[in-house]
Amino acid sequence: MATDSHGRTTFSRGVHPPESKHLTEDRPIEPGPGVAELSILLSQHIGAPCQAAVKKGDLVQAGQKIGECQAFVCAPVHAPVAGKVKELALRPHPVLGRCQAIAIEPQEPASPTLPSFSLPADFDPTRHTPQEICEAVRDAGLVGMGGAGFPTSVKIQPDAKPPKHTLLVNGCECEPYITCDYRLMLEWTDQVLAGIRLAQRACGASKVFIGVEDNKPKAIDAVGAAIKRAGSGSDIRVVSLQTKYPQGGERQLINAVLGQTVPTGGIPPMIGVVVINVATAAAIADAVLYHRPLTHRVVTVTGEAIAKAGNYYVPIGTPVEALIEFCGGVTEKSAKVVMGGPMMGLAIADLNTPITKTSGAVTVLTRRQIGQAKFERRQTACIRCGRCLEVCPENLSPTRIAHAVRSNLLDVAQSYFISACIECGCCSYVCPANIELTGYIKTGKIFLARQRKKMPA
Amino acid sequence: MIMLTGVLGAISGVWLAGLIMLGLGLVFAIVLLVASEKLKVPVDPRITQVYEVLPHLDCGACGYPGCSGYAKAVIANPELLGQCAPGGADAASRIAAILNLRISASGPAKRPIVHCRAHTADRTYFAQYQGIPSCTAANALANAQACKFGCLGFGDCVRACKFDALHVIDGLSTVDYTKCTGCGACSKACPRNLIEMVPFSYENMMTVACRSRENGKSTRAFCQVGCIGCGLCAKQSEAFTVADNLARMDYAKYAPCGENEAAMNKCPTGVIVCRGKTAPPPREPKAKSAEAAKG
Repeated sequence: MATDSHGRTTFSRGVHPPESKHLTEDRPIEPGPGVAELSILLSQHIGAPCQAAVKKGDLVQAGQKIGECQAFVCAPVHAPVAGKVKELALRPHPVLGRCQAIAIEPQEPASPTLPSFSLPADFDPTRHTPQEICEAVRDAGLVGMGGAGFPTSVKIQPDAKPPKHTLLVNGCECEPYITCDYRLMLEWTDQVLAGIRLAQRACGASKVFIGVEDNKPKAIDAVGAAIKRAGSGSDIRVVSLQTKYPQGGERQLINAVLGQTVPTGGIPPMIGVVVINVATAAAIADAVLYHRPLTHRVVTVTGEAIAKAGNYYVPIGTPVEALIEFCGGVTEKSAKVVMGGPMMGLAIADLNTPITKTSGAVTVLTRRQIGQAKFERRQTACIRCGRCLEVCPENLSPTRIAHAVRSNLLDVAQSYFISACIECGCCSYVCPANIELTGYIKTGKIFLARQRKKMPA
Repeated sequence: MIMLTGVLGAISGVWLAGLIMLGLGLVFAIVLLVASEKLKVPVDPRITQVYEVLPHLDCGACGYPGCSGYAKAVIANPELLGQCAPGGADAASRIAAILNLRISASGPAKRPIVHCRAHTADRTYFAQYQGIPSCTAANALANAQACKFGCLGFGDCVRACKFDALHVIDGLSTVDYTKCTGCGACSKACPRNLIEMVPFSYENMMTVACRSRENGKSTRAFCQVGCIGCGLCAKQSEAFTVADNLARMDYAKYAPCGENEAAMNKCPTGVIVCRGKTAPPPREPKAKSAEAAKG
């Protein structure tokens, strides 16, 4: 394990922005609003988009598969409620802008009911074969719920090469404001643990670590107690990590907990590690034990501009507008709506954007906060202070990459390993000259991708 | 010997140094002259001839580093003839003459058409974009403007153009056809693939200046001059086809005839426009002109 000078387990560098979790951390998970229309986006994951399996006017049942595709890296989508397919049209997407979606008009626009999960008394992960688990997870349309949206069935598939030795469960929640994973660990502890054990069974890992930041002592205790309750045979350990951003980035988490480094440009499976989020673990348990598809998730609606901040259980496809309305509406103070947290979240302009499988939070920031953030203040010249180098968790030189991109010198940017950037935003956060470093690096990556496509060899 | 010392003695130090340098220079000149003849690398004289014919703009449209790179490549592989967009048919025929090739009749020169006609006032914005002023950066964000298909107006194409033939006018990238050479750099720079290289069979070409595949309702909500896919144009002229909520022009079938004029005039949003050196300004959308007539 990698530790800092105080003996706390962590990775090197990174930043510690104000946590702002007090707004929602004591709010238990509550049912969200009932809405008149749900938009189920057909591309909620990394990989090929789904094809709609229903037509306009069709009646769908709750949990019915309404979109799927045959590609290996893909996850089907399901109807969260019973209702009628209103139309198949383009709907706002938090990343793609517009995306083909299935709009469903629920039969009765009622608030969702919190699911009941009781662990079967004779629960034993070894009673399910790894293939069974993997299939159930794929059928349920599970994707990484922490944000990236990689199909979980591909991640935990058995017999993958190289063999998986460690399962890392990500309960860090290092982004400011967000508390949905924290509440899951507190309230749905048994379900999370069951999911972890099923994932371990599927991927065949011998060691399991649950990484939780040390600003969530209650969650560490709760999960620790649950492991003890589960009794012997569970080789699961909870690791308390230093509260620091981006502790929950998988490369950083692996470095902190295992002391190993994922090769540049590589992914964790290459060194035999699988990383899953606690919300994904909870969904795995639901999918395998109860055959419930992933149709609902817990979303933190938060920010200083929200009157009734909290953690809500909502159907996927709920428009952000309905959520904000449910929490007291758009106030005078609101200035920017972010899907996700303020560090890595995506600003959205169209409030009809639906909640996807990967959106863990809706953060509404105030005008004052945006003024404090970089983007409204003027950008000045780089003063060569090197603060971005001091915080970059990937040991890159953000200022050099950003300037290379700005001058359209993509080969120079590549020589500084632009593609190794994880876009965590630490450099933009600390830059005293208000340079949009992460923005430039992101733009440079798009330029490079276009160049590769346009100019073969 | 005595005489030599005498002569040397008679010449002062400065003159002596000068003479030695002169002698050295002469010796090296002779060495270089011999070397240049002995170690000569034969250069294909056609490379220089072809290079002279090319427009010397080094725009890179052919895919080679500058005109000299293309000259070498076209001699090695005559199939590359006609790749020089700024030189056009003229350069191609002259290169063919140098290389003793016969060229088939070349098609009309290609020029870019921007498939958007919305200016800032025509568009809907949900929020103010304050990020990096580049189309590529803005396009990576979900809703820099409501329309996901239209021109963003941050000028990535303008920066790509080496001929000052593109300008962002009131939020819309606009081609100056008198300066455009048809190199296609703008078309490659646009992150939304809005700029199409169209063979200009006539001085002005008619086109559907929109790429929105939204349904009519959404297009109207996002833009006053977007294509709503109503299909009126397709009824007037067979050069138009409507698919995916969007009308398209088949340039091979286009001719400046009455049918196409009628289609342009029937279009309720005025999205069918003419582009070219002497193209008339686009028509106002029906709703807007009706409003103006009322007011």
